[in-house]
Amino acid sequence: MNSTLEKEIISIVADISGYDEEEIRPESDLQKDLEVDSIKAIEIAVAIEKKYKVSVRDEDIPNLVTVRQVVDLIAELTKQKG
Amino acid sequence: MNVSPNEQYDVIIIGAGISGLVCGCYLAKAGMKVLVLEYHTKPGGYCSSFKRRDFLFDAAAHSFGSYREGGNFRKILEDISLDKRIMITRFDPSDIVCTPDFEISFWNDTQRTVADLARLFPAEEHNIRKYFDYYSPQSSVNQFANMKMIGKTFSSFLGSYFYDSRLLNALTFPVFGNGGLPPSMLSAFTGTKIFYEFMIDGGYYPEGGIQQLPDALSSYIQEHGGKVFYRKCVQKILCKNETVTGVEVETGETYLSKYVVSACDITQTAKTFLKKEKAGNVLRQKVATMKSALSTFILYIGIKKPFSGLPQKGTNIWYLPHYDLDKIFYHVNRCDFRKSGGFMFRVAPDKKTILAFSLAPFRTETFWRKNKERIANILLEHVTKTIPELTQNIAYFDAATPHTLYRYTLNHKGSNYGWAPLPSQLFDPVFRHKTEIKRLYLTGHWITQTHGIPGVAYLGYNTAKSIMRREKLPR
Repeated sequence: MNSTLEKEIISIVADISGYDEEEIRPESDLQKDLEVDSIKAIEIAVAIEKKYKVSVRDEDIPNLVTVRQVVDLIAELTKQKG
Repeated sequence: MNVSPNEQYDVIIIGAGISGLVCGCYLAKAGMKVLVLEYHTKPGGYCSSFKRRDFLFDAAAHSFGSYREGGNFRKILEDISLDKRIMITRFDPSDIVCTPDFEISFWNDTQRTVADLARLFPAEEHNIRKYFDYYSPQSSVNQFANMKMIGKTFSSFLGSYFYDSRLLNALTFPVFGNGGLPPSMLSAFTGTKIFYEFMIDGGYYPEGGIQQLPDALSSYIQEHGGKVFYRKCVQKILCKNETVTGVEVETGETYLSKYVVSACDITQTAKTFLKKEKAGNVLRQKVATMKSALSTFILYIGIKKPFSGLPQKGTNIWYLPHYDLDKIFYHVNRCDFRKSGGFMFRVAPDKKTILAFSLAPFRTETFWRKNKERIANILLEHVTKTIPELTQNIAYFDAATPHTLYRYTLNHKGSNYGWAPLPSQLFDPVFRHKTEIKRLYLTGHWITQTHGIPGVAYLGYNTAKSIMRREKLPR
């Protein structure tokens, strides 16, 4: 896993969820552990899409449960972009 | 003398609206020493009641949603055990939309609403079922499911379901009323939230009037060692090294605290309270780019005695004169209430009063002084057309203009919904929770698109949780 990418995404999640970066683990469940509600989820998605210039596809959405899954998806999308 | 300037508090909350009070309840429950400072003489903000002669009127907010089993507002009241202290009833139907051709009732039993609609619009039955299914808890994949709504209006969302514009406009008129924008301008995300929380799970009301809610929240804070002071108009948030140290009120007294939560109008927070703070620049710049929602014109009618044609108590009754919500919006913005024609009214549960509402733009105090009576009479004419017997039964009559709402709550442009819920004003977290000033937090309807009592209560809860996490207090 790309540790820089993970660090950057944890920082975005921290900013929007209100949790400290130290409290956020790759395996943290966004909804259950970090209380990310539907509006915060989209705020996170918008911030990530803007930063990495990628678009999350509809079929990716069901897989976005943990921080790690978000990091993996962005790694994949940026790789595809070349 | 109960004021103790220079006493140190853990947290000062500016504004005793529902968001500030809920935030204060959680923090007081967690053991923090809370002080709430309110400009008005009682708690509640838009969620308050007042007495004139023998009539008790709700000032603006008059019912709420999200109180289903597992609903956010129920969870909050349960957390602080106020669900047992306040008796909450639910009116059925919560809302009725009356159009020139048909009526739609929003029953507590959604299946009954769907069946009624399917009977009225048989050609749209499949679409109606599909639309209501969207709101069933099972249909949501996860909290990212609404990503498709980024940048979309509620109209484009609805267009994927319905063909019949009469059905579409009637179904969404209350969403327009509760959001301040017609579906063609309203963000899809906010439109669906309002539809779910207000129309599918709406109609709740505390016995004894809406003031019961803020009164109970305020009492809870005081029972848990906190203080709530009224007639305290904050003028300045005190900072040292870009960290809050307390607040100063109009009369010059200062109150010191480790945290400050501004739960009031955000333009004042940015432009006045933080006027001299460089760190307030991001907030000020953001505020300058935002457009606020419309305000409301409200009629308060006291009834001599209940009469036979009096509509059902507790139900919000919406009158839609035609099927063009954009046109209503256009005329409302021009203060042409004769042409706008759309309005909502509600007979209070005690059957002694009626509230009637129309969206209205903010204008100068002089404009409203000149036009208040004329506009009140136009709105009253609309109401008496639908309840002819009312004309002989009016014992008291007054109105609140957008400027009145501003005067009592100090909300920017008398807005009762915060920023206009445009797609372009959503999903930008600048106003949420943490600010560049250390230990200054924001809450209330200005920090994101949220609506009604449950929406601001949830934000108050969220802000309290952020502070509790920071303080490492048990949550």
